[in-house]
Amino acid sequence: MRVRGLLALVLSLTLPGCGFAWRALKRNLSAPPERTVAHKIVDPRRPEAKLAALWVGHATVLVQLDDRFVLTDPVFDHTLSQASPRLVEPGLDPARLPPLAAVVVSHMHFDHLSFGSLDWVEQRTPIVLVPPGVRSNMPRYDFEIRELETWASYEHDGLRVTAVPVQHVGGRYALDAAFETRAFTGYVFEYHGLSVYFGGDTAYIPSAFQATRARFPNLSLALLPICPDAPRDFMQYTHESPDQALDAFTLLGAQQMIPIHFDTYINSDDALGACPRELRARMQARGLSDEQVPILAIGEQRVLIAK
Amino acid sequence: MSPAVAVGIWSVAQLIPSPLLVIGKEHVGGGVRWQLTPLLYSFGIAERPVRSFLISPIARHSGSVELHVSPEWACCAPDERSSWLVRAGLRLYLPLLEHGEKLSWSVGASYYRTAGARGDNGGSADLGIFTFHGAFGLNVTVSPWLTRREVITALTIRLF
Repeated sequence: MRVRGLLALVLSLTLPGCGFAWRALKRNLSAPPERTVAHKIVDPRRPEAKLAALWVGHATVLVQLDDRFVLTDPVFDHTLSQASPRLVEPGLDPARLPPLAAVVVSHMHFDHLSFGSLDWVEQRTPIVLVPPGVRSNMPRYDFEIRELETWASYEHDGLRVTAVPVQHVGGRYALDAAFETRAFTGYVFEYHGLSVYFGGDTAYIPSAFQATRARFPNLSLALLPICPDAPRDFMQYTHESPDQALDAFTLLGAQQMIPIHFDTYINSDDALGACPRELRARMQARGLSDEQVPILAIGEQRVLIAK
Repeated sequence: MSPAVAVGIWSVAQLIPSPLLVIGKEHVGGGVRWQLTPLLYSFGIAERPVRSFLISPIARHSGSVELHVSPEWACCAPDERSSWLVRAGLRLYLPLLEHGEKLSWSVGASYYRTAGARGDNGGSADLGIFTFHGAFGLNVTVSPWLTRREVITALTIRLF
């Protein structure tokens, strides 16, 4: 897996890699103004839900497991790394976040780890879980920052969060991808008989999904990235295509899947709407229903299992 | 990846110079500056506060004190004096926005010595502001006794 990450890094330094970066920069410079979310949810607590998910945008999802809340990769930034403007405003005002049992961060890229956004959750969570190598690259906060090795767990008050294998690339400032070769992960959250998989940002690695299923055979929900897809020869080492996300869903054996990581920031050659459109087409071909794979709009909350 | 390759990548990044605008009493010129940090103590980082040479931008810009060494070539030295000099000093970085990743500032003091047998030496003070996770910044160095190079403004470029 590390070899694939290294390959991705080397590719990014080649002419096609630089060409892709230049196209992404041009698209970002001409990005439309940030779209607002109509009927934004004010109180995300759903007393009638055993399992609910609210897609805040990109990889940020507020997951309700019974009476506990877990927030994934909190990014409420209007501009990423001072270069990439947000296309749609966050689907939840961070001031409206409920008390959180835990926050998980999948890796250090700017679209997944925002130091400013963590200020918003600082007084709302006791702990932020991160992959190995990330803690020494984070500023001080009031919450505990705990690194989890693959298959290691954090347990508190009935909630268990386990780090699970994915394939991506570590680092935050480009060059440190060479040093941070283990700084990415996925997670599984378990509480009151529910289990939720969060893929963060990952390439399609069947062995990782199979290993996760072997340990978590009854996943209620899989949050899986479906974008960026293009250019595929460049993205294949670090990102799943929509079709591969459905393969991952099958390999994980989850009951439902919510696609994430699309149409929030420009970080690829994909046209807006292309990834969910492709996902719908592939779902149809496989006979998957909207019940099994609900494609949420940013700011939309879905009760997946009622009490 | 082997440590040697990682250090090699970092070393190449350090070769990128920061361009200088040299302002003397009667002229304006240019120059270049490199910078190394043998030791840094970060009081803004969550873990491993003491760093050496290979320093994550967030460790520096979230709040830190560094010992730096800066070779530079600043034009227009007086006759028979070298335009090369080296500075060594202490610099304090403080965050302004998003733990310093978006915006931070610095204040420092350094000692300089010009190259050559008849090298001059003296003291300087500097003030800086940095953005884009510290990759770019402006740093103004004032050296009252450094003839013809009293004020130097650097467009600092530092990749990691």
